Amino acid sequence: MSGWLYMFRFFAVVPPVPLLMIGAFGVVSTVIVVVVALNPSRAPQALTPILLLQLFACSSGFDVPARRGHYDLLLTHARSRRLVLFGHWMTSAGPGVICWLALAAICRVAVGRDAGGFVTTGSMAAVCLVSTIPWAMTLRLPRFSGAIGWLLMVAVLSLVAPDAFSIDAERSSADWRSWLQTAWVTLVYPPILVGRRLDGTDALAAVPALLVAMAALAVGFLSAQWRDIPLEAAQ
Amino acid sequence: MIAAPVLVSVRGAAARYGQREVFRDLSLDLRAGQALGVLGANGAGKTTLLRMLIGCLSPVAGDIRIAGFRPRDALRRTTVAYFAGAATLPPAVRAAAWGALGNGEVVLKDRRPIRSLSQGLKQLLGLRTVLSRHPLQLVVLDEPWEGLDNESSRWLNATLELKRDRGAAVVVSSHRLHDLAGLCDEYLFLMPHEARLMKAPEISRVGPVTAALLADTFDKLRERTHSLSSHK
Repeated sequence: MSGWLYMFRFFAVVPPVPLLMIGAFGVVSTVIVVVVALNPSRAPQALTPILLLQLFACSSGFDVPARRGHYDLLLTHARSRRLVLFGHWMTSAGPGVICWLALAAICRVAVGRDAGGFVTTGSMAAVCLVSTIPWAMTLRLPRFSGAIGWLLMVAVLSLVAPDAFSIDAERSSADWRSWLQTAWVTLVYPPILVGRRLDGTDALAAVPALLVAMAALAVGFLSAQWRDIPLEAAQ
Repeated sequence: MIAAPVLVSVRGAAARYGQREVFRDLSLDLRAGQALGVLGANGAGKTTLLRMLIGCLSPVAGDIRIAGFRPRDALRRTTVAYFAGAATLPPAVRAAAWGALGNGEVVLKDRRPIRSLSQGLKQLLGLRTVLSRHPLQLVVLDEPWEGLDNESSRWLNATLELKRDRGAAVVVSSHRLHDLAGLCDEYLFLMPHEARLMKAPEISRVGPVTAALLADTFDKLRERTHSLSSHK
């Protein structure tokens, strides 16, 4: 059995995402399809609940189950630790990405070409951000802690500085403060990108967040690749 | 007769958790077709050593090689069976699905989640799953007899002897001396700050190693280590 096949088979048996979460994706997707079918103008906002679930799904945590020995069988079968981590990330992000693509396809067929906003560059960037940063941040932490930390930060910021999440639509491209604000909001609150078509300064403002996402993923892979995995009971 | 190649080579290995030294200057060679028994009190470093052999832990000093490669690199080239006890099985997974992860064959038809199995059945499931891979070159088992009934213990002994005779190097730790006694060619005694490797003929000059002989040897080594450390 090839390493890749075995890895996906293992994560199908020992999913990093709880089955309850996969059920939640199914329920939310069904509700979204109904809502969009009844009122196509709500399609762009409909992706937000999926992003929220994806945030929790990707905060799956690697070290805690690994230190309990749950991944021992895979770690001694797999060709490399990097492959194991890649599989863990793919299966953590998989359910949300599949839901997103399925919704985009269904809405395209059911509602028409412009109904979605599901596959705009902004939506793609938002899915990319919530599928990478939470996973990398939660690698060493217990499941869901990345998502809970993010919710806490958003809740505190929205109370302390409500303007922190606003984007000035009329901003000038030369205004670096405005650009910085947009870049910050994109990073801290990716759902704001849903349905937007990123071009010009919008695209430029999304670049730092995407770079942070790529860097978080790379650091996550590299650090976890070389880190020791002691058994909790043995320390 | 040509000696089998050295599969596991440990040179001056040391382990520590924070400030606590677990063991130091540990060296051993294990050839294909040989079995090594690891004995020691709780916290002596048995699990730590076994996890080093599969590349999940790195020694703070010294070097470990499996078939000439660092353990993590060796996993690409060497088929390894490792099991550290029933507590390491994911509780929510169905037993039959877990069992099929060994080599694809069903090792247990029970469809209940692992958490609802008895301790002995969990242990047996874990062992059967890892030992179903073949051909195995290295078998590393941590307290494998824990919770097993007599029949399952006999099955495990027979399986380990079979794997060893077919050329696998076997490393097994246990508190159950009577299970280890007949199986191993060498014994590693882990004591605080000292590790002592003894071949079976050093423990028993005539006849096989028995549990009583192992216990006697372990007690003598412990007393010697204790008196040495109190002199210091």
